[in-house]
Amino acid sequence: MPTMINLTINGEKIAAPEGTSVLQAARQAGIFIPTLCDYEALEPEGTCRLCIVELSGSIRPCIRVSCIQEVKEGLVVETETERIIKNRRLILELLLGRSPYCRELLDLAGKCGVMTSRFLTGEDDDCIRCGRCVRVCRDKIGAYALCWVNRGYNRKVATDFERLSEYCIGCGSCAQVCPTGAIKMEDRGNQRRIYTWGQVVARFELEKCEKCGRYFAPRKYIDWMRRKAFKPKGIELIDLICPECLRKTERPAPAKVPFGNGAFPAW
Amino acid sequence: MDVAAMDAILAKFPTIRGNLIGILHEMQSHFNYLPEEDLRYLSKKTQIPITQIYSIANFYNRFSLKPKGKNTVCVCLGTACHVKGAERVMDEIKAQLKVDVGESTDDMQFSLEEVRCIGACSLAPAVVVNEETYGQVAPKQIHGILQKFKK
Ligand code: SF4
Ligand code: FES
Repeated sequence: MPTMINLTINGEKIAAPEGTSVLQAARQAGIFIPTLCDYEALEPEGTCRLCIVELSGSIRPCIRVSCIQEVKEGLVVETETERIIKNRRLILELLLGRSPYCRELLDLAGKCGVMTSRFLTGEDDDCIRCGRCVRVCRDKIGAYALCWVNRGYNRKVATDFERLSEYCIGCGSCAQVCPTGAIKMEDRGNQRRIYTWGQVVARFELEKCEKCGRYFAPRKYIDWMRRKAFKPKGIELIDLICPECLRKTERPAPAKVPFGNGAFPAW
Repeated sequence: MDVAAMDAILAKFPTIRGNLIGILHEMQSHFNYLPEEDLRYLSKKTQIPITQIYSIANFYNRFSLKPKGKNTVCVCLGTACHVKGAERVMDEIKAQLKVDVGESTDDMQFSLEEVRCIGACSLAPAVVVNEETYGQVAPKQIHGILQKFKK
């Protein structure tokens, strides 16, 4: 049983297990805090800054991002003070400055009462630099195909030397986790393409499912997964079967193994 | 690609972990820039993903992914230098070298760069060539300064 930490969020007394973030604690209590970069399966990085809250009580009063703030005994959290609302609007305006047509951002802006942005740059880039794609590729898949390049305003997600990636395995996790759809995966016939703002990250040929004949995954991805998957003795992974057919197939229940990044042990 | 040079650089570092920036520094001084093949070789040797190396090489000003000239001309455009006419000095250098900021001359003799403050405001406007600092530079002195470094 983990130690429980007592804190107050918006006047409500809450107990959360040690090590959880203020954001998680608030969510458990059913309190809504807008977020963009936070993703359940990934380590939080605090890049979008939308989840700011006001803290006081056991620490010096301040504004912090709640997704990377651990709960502390006696913490008093306010999520909807005037100061927070004002700052959150400012952050949304800044995000909208470069992504004025991003639907998720506009939705959030509507919820938070932001009408227009004072910081329009004339650019139209849906990427909000949240880093989810980089994190999933690096921390969960272990392919290290995406990275940050440049600094400050010019920061962006790219592949090494901004060319077609040799390291991408075509799993599409980046497209899956992207909150705005700025990085996309597209299957057409037997071709898979992963692309972002003007850069094609990688191209693949897809393999056919042995059962239904549908194109479903690139070779590289299948090999990667085979290498990483846990194989009980004597049981070979059933190959080249698409997820849908696999669901209909009888198979031994997989044992749970931690899904680490085994690609670059030295890192 | 220069495998021998790379191995010599790598041999200087007992461990790889935590020394990546040091290695990149050595490479930058040796090659005058960070060549792609050598970075890929480094990645292979050290097992550090190339994207991580590329990210770091991209982040710091000191590292350059394009070949750099033999001499680096740095013009300070900080507040004091700006007020004292660094802009005119810069224009003169651009005209003489026929390059823009961040570029190198065709003969690879000079690279031109700007900085925001080198902490020598009393010398404004200041120009640094390699390790040498020139203070109170007037546009008409530029030719002489550049000649000194030209071989
Ligand atoms: S591409 Fe999507 S996931 Fe990646 S940083 Fe941009 S917005 Fe975030
Ligand atoms: S969710 Fe906390 S900074 Fe993005």
